[in-house]
Amino acid sequence: MDNDSLKTANLLLNKICQAYFTRQAANEVYLPVSESDFRELVPLLPEIEVILISLFCVENFEGSAGFTLFYVLEKRRERNIVILQRHLEGAEAVSVAEYLPSAGWFEREIHDGFGIEFSDAVDKRRLFLHEAYPHGFHPLLKSFKNQDITPSRKSINATENYVFKEVKGCGVYQIPVGPVHAGIIEPGHFRFSVIGETIFNLEVRMFYKHRGLEKLAEGKKPGETVIVAETISGDESAANAAAFCLAVEKIAQCRVPERANYLRTILLEMERIYSHLGDLAGMNVDVAFGVGASDFLILREEILRFNDTLTGSRFLKNMFCLGGLKKDIPSKSLLTLNKYLDIFRNRLQRANDYIHRTNSAIDRFETTGIIKKELIQPLNITGPAARATGVEIDNRVDHPYGIYHLFEITKRTAVNGDVLARFDVKMAEILDSIDIIQKSISALKSGSIIAEVVIKDGYGMALVESARGQNLHWIYVKNGMIDRYKIRTASFCNWQSIEHAVLGNIVPDFPLINKSLNLSYAGTDL
Amino acid sequence: MIEPFHNLFRPRPAPKQPQRDSAFEEIGLQLKKEISSIFGRSLAIREVDSGSDNSTEIELNNLSTPYYDIERFGISFVASPKHADVMVVTGAVTLNMETAVLKTYEVMPSPKLVIAIGDDACDGGIFKGTYAVRGGVDKILMVDIKIPGNPPTPTQIMSGLLSLMEILKRR
Repeated sequence: MDNDSLKTANLLLNKICQAYFTRQAANEVYLPVSESDFRELVPLLPEIEVILISLFCVENFEGSAGFTLFYVLEKRRERNIVILQRHLEGAEAVSVAEYLPSAGWFEREIHDGFGIEFSDAVDKRRLFLHEAYPHGFHPLLKSFKNQDITPSRKSINATENYVFKEVKGCGVYQIPVGPVHAGIIEPGHFRFSVIGETIFNLEVRMFYKHRGLEKLAEGKKPGETVIVAETISGDESAANAAAFCLAVEKIAQCRVPERANYLRTILLEMERIYSHLGDLAGMNVDVAFGVGASDFLILREEILRFNDTLTGSRFLKNMFCLGGLKKDIPSKSLLTLNKYLDIFRNRLQRANDYIHRTNSAIDRFETTGIIKKELIQPLNITGPAARATGVEIDNRVDHPYGIYHLFEITKRTAVNGDVLARFDVKMAEILDSIDIIQKSISALKSGSIIAEVVIKDGYGMALVESARGQNLHWIYVKNGMIDRYKIRTASFCNWQSIEHAVLGNIVPDFPLINKSLNLSYAGTDL
Repeated sequence: MIEPFHNLFRPRPAPKQPQRDSAFEEIGLQLKKEISSIFGRSLAIREVDSGSDNSTEIELNNLSTPYYDIERFGISFVASPKHADVMVVTGAVTLNMETAVLKTYEVMPSPKLVIAIGDDACDGGIFKGTYAVRGGVDKILMVDIKIPGNPPTPTQIMSGLLSLMEILKRR
């Protein structure tokens, strides 16, 4: 690198650092970077400790023909998000995965979607397009109209066949698992390389459930797209619907009425409660402690039934809409919920005490599936999985949305990063969610629950803390229609952590580690 | 693999039932009786997710939790399709899952019954006609009954199973 380019790169670096401090209503700063500057800048990015939380491509953005890549950079403890905008000359780009490892999956995703070549990338295998998709097919290109395609396996190039990493050596053997598993679980393929019983390497192959959600949203009116957000992941439907609505409301500069904001918060926390309860139960099931699991399962069923009384859906679907909520929740049901939560809290604590008194369960949880703290930043691991290693991040506090700034939310952390740490973090978060719901119910005033939304053209991002961690939704509205909808769920990031968490563990502990991370396959595959 | 007209006439959506625990018990006991006479005491179900949004999986798992516990009615979810009487498929069939669904079906012994659970599995739902899915389960397999819903509740799933028994009795 010569002196001049180093100078420009450093100037840019300063600009990025300053961008984190500029006061901005939207908390997003877009910085266009030229191709030559970008090449100089990337190696320096790790110095200022930014985390690549998303990378996506938009075709024909704001009238400039061709592809524009958006590098979304978060810096710990900073409210603003800086987004580098890199316009490509052709369909080729340099890979940044060497410096920002979380880019790996994103770049493969962009290659599948748009056909952009990352020539110096280490891993160039297909990501969400499996062998069923023909050669040269890139669904997110504007030239492709969403329609039924008749795939033929013949037309795929031999180089496009997916090859698993092979670990060779004396006594090493492979265990292929999935995509269809033994339990009632979503599909995914796990390739274990094992020595004896100890896992030596794990490779996860996902995207069996790729449903083309991002393309599905294109050309739809924003109001009709909430259902697409809800279907990203069934047990995250409130969080994703909220994120979608927040992004569109941000673009339209619409203020959601106070009552709707409180009710939304109640629903979002109800979702966190039932999701975490499922995990606590699941971890006990996976160490064959059915009695311990039952307590949590009973509580979860009761919460699901409350969801049904509050919204008409056990999974809080069909409730969120642009500008607020589709229907009001009667105060009577909220008061019943308030009373129930007092009893619920005691029963939950009893169930938790029971687990902690049971050595056979705790023995299995402790020191199992450790995620190292130093992986959190490079892989962008988020949510309870990150907090369990001691990293203090919680989107509700770091980038507050809705009315979360009104609550004093403690970031629940643990130290060890093992299954037990994740169990304890989730347990503590359920108790916090109960408090937030009860406070919301007592602060709730009557009023309107929906504001009129006048759709405006533009683009914007929403970050929401779902039960699994930070979800990112970026929306570009053009001529009143969705032109690009980028979804990045917490699961997409956290799936990559499991490959590290299982190393050195025994195969029978894999389901336990998997459950403790509670990763959504649907939310990853989109 | 698909007999012409099978999917056209055979599967009817299961009727909706009110959601009450007593209703669930009633359906469960009735189902137990039917399973005893048709299948000889037990019905083994293999679940395959062909591209659902995972809420259907949660409801299917819920059937085995303390509130429902359907094993007492003689219904069990089995780990291998080779042990199954019925395959339940959830979600629109994605291109990436098509082969896996077909392979699972192939190794199932007869009577090889197939149930589509959830709106997307029934007819492709909001994904109908898009690049990533083949459509509903009936696009690739003979479906014996469809249980619509987003997702169907545990009671609706049980009443769907009961409707399947009615169809089997008439065969």
